[in-house]
Amino acid sequence: MEAMEIDSQNILQRKQATYSSLDDPFEIHKETYRGQQYSQIYFARLHLMRTLLYSLAPNWKPHLPVCTILELEKDRECIIVGTLYKHMKLKPCILDEYSKERSVTPLVKPHNFMHPDDTLVLEDDSGRVKLSGSVLLPSIYVTGVVVALLGKETDAGDFLVQDVLEAGLPPQIEHSLKPREDKHVVFVSGLSVGGSTSNPLQFQLLIDHITGHLGDEKEQGIAAEIVHVVLAGNSVEFPRGLLNGQNLASKDQSRLSEPIKELDIFLTQVAASLPLDIMPGSDDPANFSLPQQPLNRCLFPGSSAYNTFRSCTNPHCFEVDNIRLLGTSGQNIDDLEKYSEAKDKLEFMERTLRWRHLAPTTPNTLGCYPFVDRDPFFIDSCPHVYFVGNQDKYKTDLIKGSEGQLVRLICIPKFCDTGVAVVLNLRNLECHTLSFGTEFSS
Amino acid sequence: MSSNTRKRPAPPPPKKPSPAAQTPKHHAVSQEDEFVDEDVYLDEDETLILEDEEILRDIEDRRAIACRLAKWTRPPLSDAYVSQSRSVVFQQLEIDYVIGESHKVLLPNSSGSAAIIRIFGVTSEGHSVCCHVHGFEPYFYISCPPGMGPDDISRFHQILEARMKEVNRNSKVPQYVRRIELLQKRSIMYYQQQTSHPFLKIVVALPTMVTSCRGILDRGIQIDGFGMKSFMTYESNVLFALRFMIDCNIVGGNWIEVPAGKYKKTAKNLSYCQLEFDCLYSDLISHAPEGEFSKMAPFRVLSFDIECAGRKGHFPEPNHDPVIQVANLVTLQGEDQPFIRNVMTLKSCSPIVGVDVMAFDTEREVLLAWRDFIREVDPDIIIGYNICKFDLPYLIERAETLGIAEFPMLGRIRNSRVRVKDTTFSSRQMGTRESKEVTIEGRVQFDLLQAMQRDYKLSSYSLNSVSAHFLSEQKEDVHHSIISDLQNGNAETRRRLAVYCLKDAYLPQRLLDKLMFIYNYVEMARVTGVPISFLLSRGQSIKVLSQLLRKSKQRGLVIPNVKQAGSEQGTYEGATVLEAKAGFYEKPIATLDFASLYPSIMMAYNLCYCTLVTPEDARKLNLPPECVNKTPSGETFVKSNLQKGILPEILEELITARKRAKADLKEAKDPLVKAVLDGRQLALKISANSVYGFTGATIGQLPCLEISSSVTSYGREMIEHTKKLVEDKFTMLGGYEHNAEVIYGDTDSVMVQFGVDNVEAAMNLGREAAEYISGTFIKPIKLEFEKVYYPYLLISKKRYAGLLWTKPEKFDKMDTKGIETVRRDNCLLVKNLVTECLHKILIDRDIPGAVQYVKNTISDLLMNRMDLSLLVITKGLTKTGDDYEVKAAHVELAERMRKRDAATAPNVGDRVPYVIIKAAKGAKAYEKSEDPIYVLENNIPIDPQYYLENQISKPLLRIFEPILKNASRELLHGSHTRSISISTPSNSGIMRFAKKQLTCIGCKALISDKERTLCSHCKGREAELYCKTVVNVSEQEMLFGRLWTQCQDCQGSLHQDVLCTSRDCPIFYRRKKAQKDMAEAKLQLDRWSF
Repeated sequence: MEAMEIDSQNILQRKQATYSSLDDPFEIHKETYRGQQYSQIYFARLHLMRTLLYSLAPNWKPHLPVCTILELEKDRECIIVGTLYKHMKLKPCILDEYSKERSVTPLVKPHNFMHPDDTLVLEDDSGRVKLSGSVLLPSIYVTGVVVALLGKETDAGDFLVQDVLEAGLPPQIEHSLKPREDKHVVFVSGLSVGGSTSNPLQFQLLIDHITGHLGDEKEQGIAAEIVHVVLAGNSVEFPRGLLNGQNLASKDQSRLSEPIKELDIFLTQVAASLPLDIMPGSDDPANFSLPQQPLNRCLFPGSSAYNTFRSCTNPHCFEVDNIRLLGTSGQNIDDLEKYSEAKDKLEFMERTLRWRHLAPTTPNTLGCYPFVDRDPFFIDSCPHVYFVGNQDKYKTDLIKGSEGQLVRLICIPKFCDTGVAVVLNLRNLECHTLSFGTEFSS
Repeated sequence: MSSNTRKRPAPPPPKKPSPAAQTPKHHAVSQEDEFVDEDVYLDEDETLILEDEEILRDIEDRRAIACRLAKWTRPPLSDAYVSQSRSVVFQQLEIDYVIGESHKVLLPNSSGSAAIIRIFGVTSEGHSVCCHVHGFEPYFYISCPPGMGPDDISRFHQILEARMKEVNRNSKVPQYVRRIELLQKRSIMYYQQQTSHPFLKIVVALPTMVTSCRGILDRGIQIDGFGMKSFMTYESNVLFALRFMIDCNIVGGNWIEVPAGKYKKTAKNLSYCQLEFDCLYSDLISHAPEGEFSKMAPFRVLSFDIECAGRKGHFPEPNHDPVIQVANLVTLQGEDQPFIRNVMTLKSCSPIVGVDVMAFDTEREVLLAWRDFIREVDPDIIIGYNICKFDLPYLIERAETLGIAEFPMLGRIRNSRVRVKDTTFSSRQMGTRESKEVTIEGRVQFDLLQAMQRDYKLSSYSLNSVSAHFLSEQKEDVHHSIISDLQNGNAETRRRLAVYCLKDAYLPQRLLDKLMFIYNYVEMARVTGVPISFLLSRGQSIKVLSQLLRKSKQRGLVIPNVKQAGSEQGTYEGATVLEAKAGFYEKPIATLDFASLYPSIMMAYNLCYCTLVTPEDARKLNLPPECVNKTPSGETFVKSNLQKGILPEILEELITARKRAKADLKEAKDPLVKAVLDGRQLALKISANSVYGFTGATIGQLPCLEISSSVTSYGREMIEHTKKLVEDKFTMLGGYEHNAEVIYGDTDSVMVQFGVDNVEAAMNLGREAAEYISGTFIKPIKLEFEKVYYPYLLISKKRYAGLLWTKPEKFDKMDTKGIETVRRDNCLLVKNLVTECLHKILIDRDIPGAVQYVKNTISDLLMNRMDLSLLVITKGLTKTGDDYEVKAAHVELAERMRKRDAATAPNVGDRVPYVIIKAAKGAKAYEKSEDPIYVLENNIPIDPQYYLENQISKPLLRIFEPILKNASRELLHGSHTRSISISTPSNSGIMRFAKKQLTCIGCKALISDKERTLCSHCKGREAELYCKTVVNVSEQEMLFGRLWTQCQDCQGSLHQDVLCTSRDCPIFYRRKKAQKDMAEAKLQLDRWSF
C-alpha cells in the first residue's frame, strides 16, 4: 500500500463488505462414530423432504390421494413420496474387490457407470417398489433423491409412473432493492500447489492482481473492488503415497510439508490485504467424507495469524453483503456425473437445487458422515450464488425459479490447468474470468 | 386325542411292532445299499373321511384365507376328462405303493390285501393325476434245485406258505405265496455255456413278504426228498416300485398314457388330485422320453422357508420355539417368475409390495394356513434349503408339540399323515450323513442343500456362500438371536423379518433355475430309470442296478442277491500315477487324455459279470485262447464273439446316447430343449462313469472285484504303454527336434514335454502322438489331445498349476490342482497369497516379483498390518466340547463364547470363525483361539508366528521349492521377518493399576495435558504429523462409507439399519473393523482441534 501512495495522488481504498458464515450445519463438533449406520441420514432426509412434498402435493394434483408404498393398491392412482434407489449393473462393488478371482480383464471405465439396464426403485420407510414407465428416466436420477410420484401399481407389482414432482428451488431471501455498488468476489479452485501442473508464477500473478500490485491505476481500481477471495478446494497437492504407516525419513518429511509451506506463503500475502476463505477439497490434507472439515490452522502458521484468514468447511455457505453464496469443492457434482447424465455440469448443479439437496448421492456413492438426526445437505434456503470448484471448464448461468428466485451458477475451473479465476460482481451477480498466462515464447 | 391309533385300523405290518403306529416318527437306519420296502396301509375308515370333512368345514370358517387360496387352484378339467372319453397322458414324478383291498372290478379273481401302485404326475394342461395301478405283484427268483418236478414245486409251495404263515402272523392275506412258476433263466454271474437253467419265480402277496420269504430261504428250508436246503435268492432286493417300473418299461420322469376306456374313475377320491382313477398295470403305455415326450409338464414348484424364534443362546428347538413365519413362492416349471408369493406370519405384519401377507394371531393358525395352502396350491415339487433336515421336520414336530393332529396332512392322499424318520445315509462318494426322511406322499422333495453337497465341491455350503458362488450375490444373514427381537417388535420389524424370509425362500428357486437342477435330475432319472426321489436320497449304485436289471430282463438273466460281504473281499490295486518329475517347466507340456478311460476299457475287453470265467471253468471249459482276454490282473473274460457283456452294452448305449444328445444339442435352438439335452448328456456321462465304481463297491449290490481290478490294471498298463511309445518314438533319432519326456501321468492322462518352445508346435506333436498311440489300442479306447500347459509348475503327484491352452493364440485360464486355493480350513490370506503368487509366476512370469510379494506379505503380517478378515479360520462345530476327544481350537472357543454371551455363541452345526491370538508363553494352541469380533473390539494382538508357521509356510514352500534353490531360507527367513514386537494383552494384571497418560503423536513421548498433541520437539513437524493423521482418517472414512453402503445395497433397504451377521461375507469383519477404526481415527484427529 505504501508503494501506491507514492505512485498516485488518490489513495485507493479497498472496499469493505459485511460477511457472515453459515457453515454451522456443516461443522461436526460433538458427533462421533458410535456404531451408527447410514439409515438415519436417509430417514432424516426423507422426513424433511416428505413434509415439503406433501405440502406441495395438493397444488400439484388436487383430489389425488397421497399414500405410502405399503398402502398401494392395484390400479388405483395415487401419489407416493420416497427416496429413489438406482440399481446399476456397472456400479463398482466393494465385494468384488475382496472376493473376485484374479481376472485378466480390467474393470469398467472409471468415469461413468451408467448402463441401459439401470432401473429405479422408490423406497419409503415402509417398503420399496420397482418403478416402470418412461416418465422417470433412470439416466437423470440418482440414488438418494426424494421425489413425489404420481402413478399406479400394475399387475406385475411395479409402480407405473405417470408424473414426477420434485421439490423445486427453495424459497429465496430477496436481496434489498437499495442500489448497490460494484463489489467483487474472486473464486479460485484447484491451485494444486506442489503438483506437477502447478505453476507458481501464475499463482503469484493472480495474487499480485488481487492485492493490487499489478497493472495501472485503472486495474488497481478494479482490484480495490475485490472484497473477498474464495479458494474452493484442492489448494495443495502433497505426496500421499509417502504416508504408508511407517516413519518418514527426514528427506520425505520435508517433501511432505514443502507444498503446504509454499501455499501458506502465498496465502499470507492474500490474507494480509483482504478476507480469504479456504475450503478443503478431495486432494487437500483434510478428511474424505462430506462435509469436509476446515483445514487445520496448524498447516498455515503464517496466514492463520491474520483474522482475514478463514478456514471453512466444504460445502461452504456464507453471506457477503446479504448475498447468500453456497458452494462445494466439486465432489457432489463429479459424483453425479459418474452415476447420471446431463448436457453439462450446470445442469447437474441446477438439478441439485431443484432436488433441494446438495449431494443426493451421499452416502451411497459419495462418502459422508453418518448423521443421526439431520441431513445438512438439505437446502432450505435458496442461495443467490451457487458455485462448484475443480471443474474442467468455466461455465456460468443465471437460473430463475418459479417464485422469482434468481440463482447464479458458477463452475470454477481448475486453476492449475487453465490459469483461470472467476470474478463475481455482487451488484448484479454478473461473472467474468481472470486469465493468467505465463508463456515466455512471445 | 390319540388319533394315531385311530389312524391305522388295519393291523400294522408284521415283524415290526410298528412304532409308526404310535407316533408318526420312527427310527430306521438304512445304508445306501440296503433297499427295504415298507408297506403302508391305506385308510378307508369312514370316521376319518368325516374328520376330513370337519377340517374342510374348518377352512370354511376361515373363509378369508380360503378365498385367497382358491385363486391358485389348478386349471379346471375339460369335459373330455370329466366324461372319461379321452386318454390320460401325464408325466409321472413319483411312484409309490400302498396296501389296500384288491380291486373287485379290475381283478375279479383276487381278494384280500394287495399292493397298489400309485403314480403321481401332471398332464400337459397342468392337471394333477393320481393313478392307482392294480394287478402288479411282488416276486423274486430262486434257482430251481435239479430234479425238482411240478409236484415237488407244489409241495415246496405248501411248505413255504406254512413257513410264511408262521412269520407273518398278523397279515390278513388269504395266501402268502401266491404262486411259484418254473422259468428258464440264467444267472448273470460268470460265463456259462448253457443258455439257461430252470428257475423258480416266487410271487408273494405283499412287497415286504419278499424280504421275509428271502429270510426263510436263506436260512434253509426242509423239503421232502431234498433235505434241508438253503437258497440263494435272485432279485429279491429290488424295491417294489422299481420292480414295477422295470417290468413296465417306465423310467423316472417319463410320460405315461392310460387309454380311454382302460381306466375307471375311483369311486371315492382318496387323494386331492384332479384326475384319480384305477387301471391295470398291463394297460399302461409308457412313452420313451424322446421327441414329443422329452418335454416337461408344467409342474408346480414350491420354494419355502420358515423362521423360528429361538431362545437366547439356543438354536431353535421344535419343542420350545415357535414357528413365526413361513414364506412361499410357487413357480410353474419353465417360467422364470413365481406366480405366487406369500408369507404367513405370527402376529401382524405390515404389507409388502407384490407379496400376499397373511398374518395370524396364533401359531396354530399359521401352521394350518400353510397346510391349507399346500393343499390348495398342490405343488408337485417342494424345494428349499435344508428343508429335509430342518424346515419340514421342524414344522411337523412343532405341530406335534402344539397338539395339532390335523397339521401333518401335507401329502396328496386324504387323511394320510406325513411320516418322519431319522436315517443315516452312508455312501462311498459322500461319507456318512445323518438326515431325516420326510415322506410327503405324491410330492417330490428337492433339498437344494443336498443337491449342492452331492454335485458340487464347495468350501462352504451355507446358503450365503452358495448364492455368492453361483448367483454372485451376497445374502443377507440375520442371526437367529435377532430374529426373536424382530418378532417381538412391531408390525414393521416383523415385516423386515418377512422380507428376509421371502428372500431365503426365493434363493433356492433361483439356484434351481440357474443350475437347471430340474432338467438335469429329470434327465438323470430318465437315463438311469429310477424315480426322481431316489436321485437325492440314495447313492450311485441304485442307478447302475436299475440299468443292469432292465438289461438283464431283456436277456433272460437274473441277478443274484449277494450277501453283503463287507470288506472281506479285500481291496485291489487302484489307478496308477506315474512318478511326477517335480519342477517348473517353461516349455509347453502337452497333455494326452484317455477319453472316458474306464468305460472304454470295459467295452474294449468285454468286461462283465457274464463274461467272467471262474478259474475252475477256465481249466474245465478249455476255451480257445483267441476267444478270451486275460487281463493284466490275471482274470479271464470271454470275448464278445462268445458272449457279449451286459455292462459293455449298457456303456455303449450310454455313450452313443450321449453322442446323440451332444449332436442334438448343437442343432437345438430352443433354450428349453437345449436345457433338456444338456442335462441328458451330463446325466449320461455321469452314469457311464459310475458303472466301474458299482463293480468295485465292496458293500454294494453286486460287487465284482475281478472286474474292477481288471479295469484298473488295464488302465495302468495303458499309461505305461503310452509313456513308452511317446519316449521311443519322439526322439532325435526318430527325426524329431528334441527327445520327448513324460514328466507325469495320472489315472487317465499323460503329460509330455516334447521339448519344443511354442504352443502351436507342442499342439501339433500332441495331436500326432494321440493319433499314433490310439492306433495301437483296441477300440473304443482312444487317446485324445486336448490341452497344453505352458508354463507348468509340477509340485508333486496330484498337485500342479499351469496355464491351460486349447488354442495356440491365447491361454484359456489358470488351472490348478491340489493347491491351497480353495481349501476351506485355511484362512483367506493363504488363498490370496497362493493365488497371487501363481498369478505372478505363471501369467506375469515374474518370479522375483512373486518372491517380493511374499516377503511384503510376511512383513505386513509380522508388523501387524494384516487385515483381520484375511486371518479368520473357520471350522464347523459338529459336536459339543465333551464329545471331542482332543481339544480343538474352535470347540474351546465356542465354550468360552458361551460363557461370555450364550445368545451369540455358536451352536452345534454352526461354523466357528476364529483367529489365533498372542497368549501367555506356553499356552496351548487351542487356548489361543479367539472370536474375531472380540479381537477387534478389544484390540487383542494376533499371533503372526502362528500364521507364518502353521498357515502359510507349507503351501508357499510347496510352490517355491521347484523354483527357488533355498526357498525356505529365502522366503521365511531374512530381513523382512524382523518384526515389530507387539505387547501381549495389557488389559490384565498389573496394567490395570497403570495410569493412562497422553503421548506425543509424533514420538510417543509422554506429554502433559497442556500440550495435548505434540511434545516440544515435534512441534516443528506439526504439518507433517497432522497430514499423517488426517490421511489416515480420510482412508478410514472412504472404507467406512463404501462398506456400510454396500451392506445397504445387499439388504435392499436404505431406511433401515443393517442387521446382517453373515460371517461368510468377505466384508463382515472389515465392516466391523471400519466402524471401530473410524472411531479411533476420529479421536486422534480430534486431538488436533484446539
